[in-house]
Amino acid sequence: MPQKTGNFPACLAIAVLIFVCGCLLSSARLVLEAPRRHIPDDIARRSDLRFAGLKAALPTEGVVGYIGSSADSIGYYYLAQYALAPLVLDHSLNHPLIVGNFPSSAPQLPASLEVLRDFGNGVLLLAAKDEP
Amino acid sequence: MVPGLAALQCFGLGFAIVSAGWTRAASPAERMLKLFLSAGYGLGAFSILFLVLRALGLASLLSVDVFAFVLLVVAWLLTRRLVPAATVLPAADHNFPGWLRGSLTAGFAAALCAALYSAVRRTMAYPNGEGWDAFAIWNLHARFLFRGGAGWRQGFSAFIPWSHPDYPLLLPAAIAHFWSYAGQESYAVPATIGLVFTISTVGVLFSALLILRGRKVAMLGGLALMATPSFIEQGTSQYADVPLSFFILATVVMLCLCDASVVVSPPAGWIALAGLAAGFAAWTKNEGLLFLCSLLLARFWMLAGGKRIAQGGETLARARSFRLLVVSALPILLIILWFKRFIAPPGDLFVYSAATFHQFSDLARYAAIGKWFGKQFFRFGHWLWVPGSLLVVGIFLALRNWGAQNRGDQGNARPEIGFRACAAALTITLCGYFVIYVITPYDVYWHLRFSLNRLFLQLWPGAIFLCCLRIGVRGQKVRPTEMFQNEA
Repeated sequence: MPQKTGNFPACLAIAVLIFVCGCLLSSARLVLEAPRRHIPDDIARRSDLRFAGLKAALPTEGVVGYIGSSADSIGYYYLAQYALAPLVLDHSLNHPLIVGNFPSSAPQLPASLEVLRDFGNGVLLLAAKDEP
Repeated sequence: MVPGLAALQCFGLGFAIVSAGWTRAASPAERMLKLFLSAGYGLGAFSILFLVLRALGLASLLSVDVFAFVLLVVAWLLTRRLVPAATVLPAADHNFPGWLRGSLTAGFAAALCAALYSAVRRTMAYPNGEGWDAFAIWNLHARFLFRGGAGWRQGFSAFIPWSHPDYPLLLPAAIAHFWSYAGQESYAVPATIGLVFTISTVGVLFSALLILRGRKVAMLGGLALMATPSFIEQGTSQYADVPLSFFILATVVMLCLCDASVVVSPPAGWIALAGLAAGFAAWTKNEGLLFLCSLLLARFWMLAGGKRIAQGGETLARARSFRLLVVSALPILLIILWFKRFIAPPGDLFVYSAATFHQFSDLARYAAIGKWFGKQFFRFGHWLWVPGSLLVVGIFLALRNWGAQNRGDQGNARPEIGFRACAAALTITLCGYFVIYVITPYDVYWHLRFSLNRLFLQLWPGAIFLCCLRIGVRGQKVRPTEMFQNEA
């Protein structure tokens, strides 16, 4: 027969206490793992700034091609698309205008492409060379 | 100034919707529930209105909003006059000893402070959301809607399949609505919407349990949710999983309130609000569509099964409430069908039909997925040492047989169609998630690793609510004359 705390069985009181303590452990994790940096991690905002010049040189809508370094994360493509929306970036070279995105390495372009304009920071506006 | 007014307008729309379905809130807890529900319903309405504006090529957003608001106020006046007000008997509280009550209150307060602190710090540290999906899917779609003008459809083309252009637009369209009022994009909008959904989900859970099971159980439920680290992390990461969990919980809450209604027939307004919330869930993520179908299936099953045992009048009432549930979700369902049929390319999960049949017959695949489901049950919340899922099941098992004699509610005198339908709907949805992993065209381990914890999280607030709702209902019942005597 379990001891009672007033009308409340002691085993139930223990169950409630275990529940509260178990939950508070995870609440402590929330506090301990909360970010403490004062400078926000705004990678998307920096990407917007990086593509601002190119955005002004491109049409406001439609579809353009895209090329990036195979060594770079696919995330750079996402960031480029995010910055240049509502323009759609198709990850192919089958378009008259092509966005080149080489944030961490020197551009290695296929011979069929020519650079129309270099906006710096690895951002290029490219076009297919005219066939002779 | 403008963002503040837009937020007020959004909340006003939500409050008008909730008030049209719930004309009179009798107690402070009911008013609290209405306020938290209003935030989510308002964002859902903001989203639908923006899409209507874009789809019809209308110019004035303000006119559309004002028109919708006036329409809702008229609906509220009409329902107030024509539909009997629904209410529930306030649940008397469990009799905890003073020291235990104090410990629970202190624990709840500490968890609330920790959750708020963490949520605000995360929002400040990650203004674009945490993880790729925030800007690669949801905020990107918002940009297409906002920047695209008349050509917004182009953003949902098959050229960018990785952005999941078939995903529903509740979150992106609500964000674009606010940006349109401000006249510019602001990182604060998606971040604030994420915070609002996170806080409102906790608020709906707490206030609904406060109405139906009293303060102690409400604190237990609220504590379980706030102390789920991944709930706070996902809520501030600007993903759509916590907004979806909000609408699933709102559906479950409204249907379970119907069980506790003091009138015999299910209150039409609450059923309509449940249907609308299920519709908004479907408009938030594809998993919400699965939940809506599961709910309708479960309700239909109850209706068909109930015909054999229920009285004629009760069967009629059940059929009426099922029809009302369908009708209230239908407008949003039609918008989703239009979006899927005419705007978005086919989803990526149902593309490879030849491989799908092979996967269906692969038993090792079922075993592997089952194993992951079992593991994630203990891990999905990112808890420290003690899994919250285990704690909730434990407290439910410990307290389920205790307490009804101290409350006097008449929970088990009613058939509890809402409760059983919601429990069945969540179970069917979970089974649906399992099937999705069976047929996925992606590497199943990769898919499980990056999504299963979020799928569990979508159902977590609803599951906590249903568990807490069963606390004490199997205890000894009392006669009405004994009600509240133990509280004195």
